[in-house]
Amino acid sequence: MQLQFTINGEQITVDVNPRARLLDILRDKLGLTGAKEGCGEGECGACTIIMDGLAVNSCLIFAHQARGKEIITIESLEKDGELDQLQKAFIDSGAVQCGYCTPGMLMSCKALLMRNPKPTETEIRTAIEGNLCRCTGYIKIVNAVNSVVTNK
Amino acid sequence: MGNFHIKTPNNIEELVSCLKEVEDKTYLLSGGTDLVIKLRKNKIYTGTMIDLSGVKEMKYIKVENDIIQIGANITFSEIIENKYISQHCTCLKEAAQRVGSTQIRNMATIGGNISNAAPCADSITALMALGAKIKGINSNGEVWVRELDEVVLGAEKNKLAPDEVITEINVPLLGGGYKSSFGKIGSRTAVTIAKLNMAVVIKYNEIDGVIEDVTVALGALAPKAFISNTVGKVLLSEKPSNELLVNFKNALIQEVDIAIKGRASHPYKRIAITGLAEDVYNCLFKVMEIGGGN
Repeated sequence: MQLQFTINGEQITVDVNPRARLLDILRDKLGLTGAKEGCGEGECGACTIIMDGLAVNSCLIFAHQARGKEIITIESLEKDGELDQLQKAFIDSGAVQCGYCTPGMLMSCKALLMRNPKPTETEIRTAIEGNLCRCTGYIKIVNAVNSVVTNK
Repeated sequence: MGNFHIKTPNNIEELVSCLKEVEDKTYLLSGGTDLVIKLRKNKIYTGTMIDLSGVKEMKYIKVENDIIQIGANITFSEIIENKYISQHCTCLKEAAQRVGSTQIRNMATIGGNISNAAPCADSITALMALGAKIKGINSNGEVWVRELDEVVLGAEKNKLAPDEVITEINVPLLGGGYKSSFGKIGSRTAVTIAKLNMAVVIKYNEIDGVIEDVTVALGALAPKAFISNTVGKVLLSEKPSNELLVNFKNALIQEVDIAIKGRASHPYKRIAITGLAEDVYNCLFKVMEIGGGN
């Protein structure tokens, strides 16, 4: 089936298997491999992307559910070779260790900041409650987001 | 690879015509957070999926004739942010806040949660305590309204006919003096499936200090959530006190004993429910500053 949506600012049409998940299309059809498959059932958040301004698990969405929607993936955060300030903050705070959770974690935090540029620590923690990280202990991630909030 | 078809109705009329062609292997998709997993786990490669998410007439929250009408396509995030729900249905808001994670709440819908009919579904327990009714439509375009209990069979099965779909959830506006609370125990705070959940709705007379009306709903103890009249009676016509909290806990323990005696989870749940009781009780009475549970 033909599917139309906007991906990182570009409107595209792709031919998709009706049973494919959005994650499958992003990775296999569009070559956007930033979103990862971890658990495949919405527990780990490694596949998190932003759809119409909201953080969602791309492993729990059939591709056709994205019809007409605006999708943002981790690949769009860097602009002209310059990392997004949230990405820089993750590096500066030591919030990236093995890196597997990082794209999903960044997209959950980005979605939060898009809606709420000055979140409280509780709001930051709620935003990432669906993202598992086995390396950092989360403190460095919360610190990274906080540093972006306080620098604004 | 099998044959899979997607139908994407954009309004109720188109939805009704899709329902006319329902077969054995037709799946209704709302948010998808359960269905994607179900189809993959059960290796289902053939069939038809009706994607309800495009039906705009199922996406609203409004108050009419003293009823809060919640469209079946409303997500848990939208429930949490809604002012009517915050004002009048605290237990439903609290239940929505405890569903999955931010990502899941952004997609999962209240209609989907009810249709999926899991024994531990957080919204069902809250809606049961609130006396919610379910409105739906069938393939002839006939609109029906039923009690929530008549729609949910339990153990992940609903009592809907194959050509029926839930379109709206009706929650009666409770009058002055009513308040509610929801509590849940899972293995961790977020993204957790309830081992126990509970919603309590009370009417409290502030002048006399007496509980005048009460409904207690319990989830994850039976194939589906149920209202416990036994526990309700313990609270009815009583004044909040330390003794009442003890009686409330004991009544809940008895309910757990009846529901799951002999099950592996029984020894755990009969203790755990007392902690849950304390959380819910304190939420209900702490705000009234009468120091009920402390």
